[in-house]
Amino acid sequence: MSAFDHLMSGFAVALTWKSLLYCFIGCFWGTIVGVLPGLGPLAGMVLLLPLTFGLDPATGIIMLTGIFYGAMYGGSTTSILVRIPGEAASVVTCIDGYEMARQGRAGPALMIAAVGSFIGGTVSVLGLMLVTPPLAHVMLQIGPQVEVVLMLMAMCTIAFISGGSRLKTAAMIVLGLAVGTIGLDKLTGVPRFTFGNLGLADGLSFTALAIGLFGISEILINLEKSETIKAIQPKLKDLVPRWKDLKDSAPAVTRGTIIGFIFGIIPGVSHVVSTFVSYAIEKRFSKHPEEFGRGAIAGVAGPETANNATTGTAMIPLLGLGIPSIPATAILLSALVMKGVSPGPLLLTEHPEVFWGLVASMYVGNVVLLILNLPLVGLFVNLLRIPYGWLVPTILVISTIGVYSVSSNAADVWIMVVSGGIGYILRKFGYEMAPLLLALVLGDRLEEQFRTALTMSGGSYATFADYSSLLVIAVVVTLLLILQALAWTFGYSKSIADEAERT
Amino acid sequence: MRSSIRRVALAAALTAMASSGICQDEAAKSAKPKSSSSAFPDGKPVEMVTLFGAASASTATARVLADGMAKVLGVPVPIVDKPGAGGATGYVYLSTQKPDGHSTVWSSNSISTTFHSGQLPFDYKNFVHVARVTVENPALAVKADAPWKTLKELMEYAKANPDKVRVGNSGQGSQTHIASVALFSSAGAKIIPVHRTGGQATADLLAGRIEVAVQFPQAVVPHVKSGDLRVLALLSSIPDPVFPDVKSAKAQGYNIDMPLWRGIAVPKGTSKAVVAKLQDAIKKAVESPEFKDAGNKIGFTPAYQPTDAFTKMIAEDDKRTSEVIKEIKAAEAAAK
Repeated sequence: MSAFDHLMSGFAVALTWKSLLYCFIGCFWGTIVGVLPGLGPLAGMVLLLPLTFGLDPATGIIMLTGIFYGAMYGGSTTSILVRIPGEAASVVTCIDGYEMARQGRAGPALMIAAVGSFIGGTVSVLGLMLVTPPLAHVMLQIGPQVEVVLMLMAMCTIAFISGGSRLKTAAMIVLGLAVGTIGLDKLTGVPRFTFGNLGLADGLSFTALAIGLFGISEILINLEKSETIKAIQPKLKDLVPRWKDLKDSAPAVTRGTIIGFIFGIIPGVSHVVSTFVSYAIEKRFSKHPEEFGRGAIAGVAGPETANNATTGTAMIPLLGLGIPSIPATAILLSALVMKGVSPGPLLLTEHPEVFWGLVASMYVGNVVLLILNLPLVGLFVNLLRIPYGWLVPTILVISTIGVYSVSSNAADVWIMVVSGGIGYILRKFGYEMAPLLLALVLGDRLEEQFRTALTMSGGSYATFADYSSLLVIAVVVTLLLILQALAWTFGYSKSIADEAERT
Repeated sequence: MRSSIRRVALAAALTAMASSGICQDEAAKSAKPKSSSSAFPDGKPVEMVTLFGAASASTATARVLADGMAKVLGVPVPIVDKPGAGGATGYVYLSTQKPDGHSTVWSSNSISTTFHSGQLPFDYKNFVHVARVTVENPALAVKADAPWKTLKELMEYAKANPDKVRVGNSGQGSQTHIASVALFSSAGAKIIPVHRTGGQATADLLAGRIEVAVQFPQAVVPHVKSGDLRVLALLSSIPDPVFPDVKSAKAQGYNIDMPLWRGIAVPKGTSKAVVAKLQDAIKKAVESPEFKDAGNKIGFTPAYQPTDAFTKMIAEDDKRTSEVIKEIKAAEAAAK
């Protein structure tokens, strides 16, 4: 079958009423968490994770992925209308987006952000679709020893380039790896840190931990903010951009798509980095750089396109190799594995319906989001008026039901509550939860692959420095250095990311 | 504003529905309790304890069986998921329940593996094994271009080259692990078992990182069809609809018969009449066309067997499993 036939069979999966419904739920919920400051895509995904357990793998993953890219759309709305980024990847959009809104041009800003997101997102899926199948063939040759090297490099990269203290990020990665060792040792069945308790034999429930560390702690932090948000109300008839807006945006959208797609391979914070790089590049290329900061539409179009264009690329390591490179895809991985589907080089042959269904659903989802975000923007803005006093109990109830329903285990609810408390305290001290979550998912795999590599090599550590490992190290390091050099050239630095993290 | 709140509430309802409740609702729908006087099932639901998590293939199979049994028994058969410790959590839970037929467990070889590896405080004799329901046959696969055309050639190579043949399985203590160790050691061959999860053994085999993989048919069938892999033997003598032409190891002269079996067990002390009723419901459910269809989809072979034959089979299986686990432990101790 050609790629076209595969894609058509994917649409056959994605266009069933069930897939469409869950794709819509995912996109809708993604937009909501994107709009609401404080709730990001990660919290959004973990909160609905239990919902996927009753679904078949393709439908579950379609919904979760919908939340992931849906949030990239929603984030811009709050940035433009309130000057509060809905999530980290929309920080730069605040600069010119809010300025435009103040000048009464919120409509065109929202319009361009949505259209840019649509173009970036769609092209990115196209890339995912074209790159993954040939890559999967190569990936098959990647043995456990190379996977170990890749995972270690990903963790180092995350510690190095994430916003906030490097030491604190590294600490969270180590904590995640340590918590992951609780339970029966997968290879020999030896219980570790279970203290003789049968309930701990399978480790701490990932869903409970993820909802606690991410969902609950985020809600607690939001409770501290009591001010009501005043949003600029756009008039729908003003949505249509002027000719000059389109002319200014078109090149920005094109460049944003390319930047997002390339920077999407950076582990950890690709979507955030891509927006900063895009903004800097637009400013550099603009004929009127003085307009930036005073409502330049290119400053909205570029970054908003870029953050959506990263979504497809970020899926490639997950679907082609089975290694998540960012926390969002780590959640997708855990959802798939719980359903008995292992992403990796064989996903395309063994579960073509999952891969092609997902790809097709991402095309559908981007259309859904474009429709959701333009006419319904008023509805989403109104969400900001819901007092946290109402929102918080609702979300807490959903989380508790969700966590309990996974395995009808009351202990999981306690794990959620306690990890929520711990997450809150850690975040108050500036420790990020995202690296912890990623390490939690990668940890199991890292250990398993490390030991399998040694089994296969007959106990020789030299396997980690064999030809294929060294080749992969060389390629990845070169790639990262080039991207870093590009980022520096165009004025992105860690200090800017740190600043963004604080806003 | 109103509508958005309603949507949040909708999400909450969906969350609750999709996870725990749904299977019970379906079972309840398909079977309205009949009012019968004192006879089992007494109008009360018959619980089925599952061991490997709501999303596992094992539990998916249990749901199909539960639906079928509910239709025959006329009461709901809800799934009660008690995952953990390789199945031990659920077995321990069932052993604390009343032996009245309203508590059953979706059991498997795990009852022997968990006992002999020290996770379960009691063995299979603690339960009455009502009936076998399904089997899954471990298949031994090599690359299509491998030098071994028959099981015998492979075994002789492995014997002549100790600690050279890497045999992938689907995890420490899994049925594919136990069966592969049993096969090679019965011929006196020393191999390197490679424990892999989530179908990685197939990827390793395709890429040539291991020489042999012992996997359930579903994991290898697409690659056998594409001509990349070859199945040399089934480590079970039960015919497999996926590989009708592949000979069993037994037929090729190796006395190994170790399928992964699943069935229904109840606590010891459950009365004969109740066991007979459950057995009848299981038989009817397993022989239904729906069950066969589900087998093709999920990847199991319906293989009904009544109490006596089933218990005898478990006893033999348990003995072999205990021997293999002892051997694995000894090999591990020697490696240290």
